[in-house]
Amino acid sequence: MFEKEFQNIRTLAKKHDIIHYDVYLSKSKSFSVKIFHQDIDTFNYSDSIGLGIRVIFNDITGYSYTEKLDKESLNAALLSAKNNAKTVDFKKKVILDNYPLIKEGINIYNKNLVGIPVEDKIKKAKEIEKIALRSDKRIINVPHALVGDNESLFKIANSNGLNKEYTTNACYGLSFCLAKDQEETKSGVYEIMSREFGDIDPQMISKESVQKALELLGAREIDSGNYPVLFNNEMAATLLSTFWSIFSAKTVQEGQSLLKGQLGRNIAHPIVNIIDDALLSKGYNTRPFDDEGYPSQKTSLISDGVLRSYLHNTMTALKDGTISTGNASRSYKTSLNISPSNLYIKPGLSSKSDLRSLFPRCVEIVQLSGMHSGCNTISGDFSMGAQGFYCENGQRKYPIHNFTVSGNFLQMLKHIVGLADDLKFKLSATGSPSILVESLSISG
Amino acid sequence: MIKKSIIESALQKALSNGADFSELFLEDSVSSTMQLLDRKIVKSITGNDYGAGIRIFYGHKAIYAFTNDVSEKGLLKAAEAVSKAETGDKRTEVIDLTQTIYDSPHKILIPFNSVPILDKIAFVHSIDNASRNFSNYISQVSITYMEKIQNVMIANSNGLFTQDQRTYARVYVSSIAFKDNQMQTGSEGPGALMGYEFFKKLDPEELGRNTAERAVKILLADYAPSGKFPVVIGNGFGGVIFHEACGHSLETTSVAKGASVFADKLNTQIANPCVTAIDDGTMLNKWGSTTIDDEGSPTQHTVLIDKGILKSFMIDKLGGMKIGLRSTGSGRRQSYKFAPTSRMRNTYIDIGPDTIDDMISSVEFGLYAKKMGGGSVQPGTGDFNFSVGEGYLIEGGKIAKPVRGATLIGNGRDILKRISMVSNDLEHAEGMCGSQSGSIPTCVGQPTIKVDEIVVGGRKEK
Repeated sequence: MFEKEFQNIRTLAKKHDIIHYDVYLSKSKSFSVKIFHQDIDTFNYSDSIGLGIRVIFNDITGYSYTEKLDKESLNAALLSAKNNAKTVDFKKKVILDNYPLIKEGINIYNKNLVGIPVEDKIKKAKEIEKIALRSDKRIINVPHALVGDNESLFKIANSNGLNKEYTTNACYGLSFCLAKDQEETKSGVYEIMSREFGDIDPQMISKESVQKALELLGAREIDSGNYPVLFNNEMAATLLSTFWSIFSAKTVQEGQSLLKGQLGRNIAHPIVNIIDDALLSKGYNTRPFDDEGYPSQKTSLISDGVLRSYLHNTMTALKDGTISTGNASRSYKTSLNISPSNLYIKPGLSSKSDLRSLFPRCVEIVQLSGMHSGCNTISGDFSMGAQGFYCENGQRKYPIHNFTVSGNFLQMLKHIVGLADDLKFKLSATGSPSILVESLSISG
Repeated sequence: MIKKSIIESALQKALSNGADFSELFLEDSVSSTMQLLDRKIVKSITGNDYGAGIRIFYGHKAIYAFTNDVSEKGLLKAAEAVSKAETGDKRTEVIDLTQTIYDSPHKILIPFNSVPILDKIAFVHSIDNASRNFSNYISQVSITYMEKIQNVMIANSNGLFTQDQRTYARVYVSSIAFKDNQMQTGSEGPGALMGYEFFKKLDPEELGRNTAERAVKILLADYAPSGKFPVVIGNGFGGVIFHEACGHSLETTSVAKGASVFADKLNTQIANPCVTAIDDGTMLNKWGSTTIDDEGSPTQHTVLIDKGILKSFMIDKLGGMKIGLRSTGSGRRQSYKFAPTSRMRNTYIDIGPDTIDDMISSVEFGLYAKKMGGGSVQPGTGDFNFSVGEGYLIEGGKIAKPVRGATLIGNGRDILKRISMVSNDLEHAEGMCGSQSGSIPTCVGQPTIKVDEIVVGGRKEK
């Protein structure tokens, strides 16, 4: 698709003596419906395109983007990228290459998703709300009962002959409910994404969100102190998705990661393995190539507690004298960066209840809040609002709330003493099993 | 931007399946961003955002679609897509569009394109120099320079047809201090609804120095204690406490669904009588101001809480219909990619009679949170949390040593009642607020206030 526009760019680039450049286009369609009181609350539909251009002059990169694809706008975008390259006083070698395709077959598009009637999606969203409200009289409200889907096309071309594209799609369902008992209100959220519409099961989505809200009712406060802490799989994944940038080679090279100079060293407990896998079967971020067109791969970041690799694009790899891990990321609006694909902590063999029994008492955390304010991704320090359970002798004794959990992400990696077998991915494509940390500061 | 007859036919097409209201939002924005890192301009991006959003109502139901294709064909296609979402029984006709242009009081003195790029580069370098010269602990400075001009056109089936141009200037500075494998950041991000004159008025030296000073101070500080105690919260960005703990819960987005702890509290006492709170979209050239909101309603000065009594919510068109109240000009959105909803503008706690000295001396053991970091709230429960950027212990009625890593957590309903003292040093601070309709410019603000008791999460036991 868009061969005409890409041909226009090639012609215009030639005219303006622009020799080295690449073009990144994304086109996405999305749909979502939200139900409230069994009626449509919001109904969104979109169809949008954006095109980003990088022009490289003497190892200096200038960027521009446009949402208008007519010849005149493409011309203006090329010229502003060229001008921006003149403003920048920072030389960095950019590799524009025609990379090979991956050999593995990956399944990231389901054509059956395209024809699902809107009525069926509305019906599922209505069911999510209805089931949640009927399940227990303490469920007083379902502010979000949502079903949606999206489809995106990515196309990359450069002045060295690269020209490839892929299309991916998925659908999702979400329930967010409020449970109230006397003056206490608790919330529960559950979301699922899949490439099979049948996986969006209203019964399961409602049930999970309802249970999460109800189990926290009757919460007590907890005395401040140091406790062994069991993060459930979703919260452990949330922590990983908050702190992933310490693995970015860009962050490391810019002096903003504590992992600088740590390659080959023990930075985590020997049971810890962290993996980034862009080829993962059914992964939310599975793809054939990254945003430079570089082929996807599986990369071991931490292996048996030892830091093995950072996440690289071709620019950071060149600087470190290594090769890209296929983690280049950009949108048409932003400059070249790095991001994980499907990033996860490898699960262990224990059950979650085994972990609960490892210490005479522990704090189990099932909700965290304040990730963006309470976490410092540079220092690794975190202090977040939390809710969960106080556990004794392997049993949940009672729910707890109104406390914070504090520590340092890197120090925590060294003190992970147990990994459960319940690996789960968040929609951010970050996954983890439940993890047990020897000791963290709890204040209530 | 586009012919009136095309707008009228798109609005009519959107109504064709029996909707009772249709609205078209057209945007053409140009922005430039530059980043300085390692003392070098490492990035320069220019962009053009262009597209249209169409919204229709069936009663209280909102249907939204957006597209980059703003040709007649593209708009009619989007209009048809929204019209088919639902079937209604209304036979609404688009009222003839009459153009109304509100005269903007927010004057722009120096257009961005009249200033040589080299001046802009020199400006960011002077901030960087000031930061690095402050201390050898400063290992990195990141500065993002941003200028944006947003042109919007809004038309609806009630005959509204208007336009607005918003000019934004902002610089975001982050100084990083490093010592013994520890890093801490000091940040500031001043901005305004102004042209290049905003950057000319800023003191780059002071900006660099202040961020560096804060980073170094936190780096050398001990961890904050944990527990429940009185907290004195500094002016300016300290207003994030009100923004998070209360502001979001006063937006119709959460009120209309009963998903806010304040939903049924209009005209009742929700805060200590020393608290008066305002959300004002009219303040001259302020970061969170606009002449009209993104639904075409003129913005207002809205008193939210008067001496502790809840007086108003922040209301957009749809939210207003749901709760039976008129719009307060609070319908906002990041871009044409978002349906508008009720949002904050420049929100602040108004001045009171106390002084900082009175507050500090009234505390035996507590925390002085001079500069707040960011935070978030869950409107359904009112639970909030935010981090302290620059904090000090208060011991025996005096400010003692600096502390780091503190988080304040609590519940909006409780905290408003626990604000017991308010001073007169009102200041505002710029930020980007993210919510349902995207990320938009807002100001938080307050004078220094005292909260009698709040849970402080630190790393040490008291």
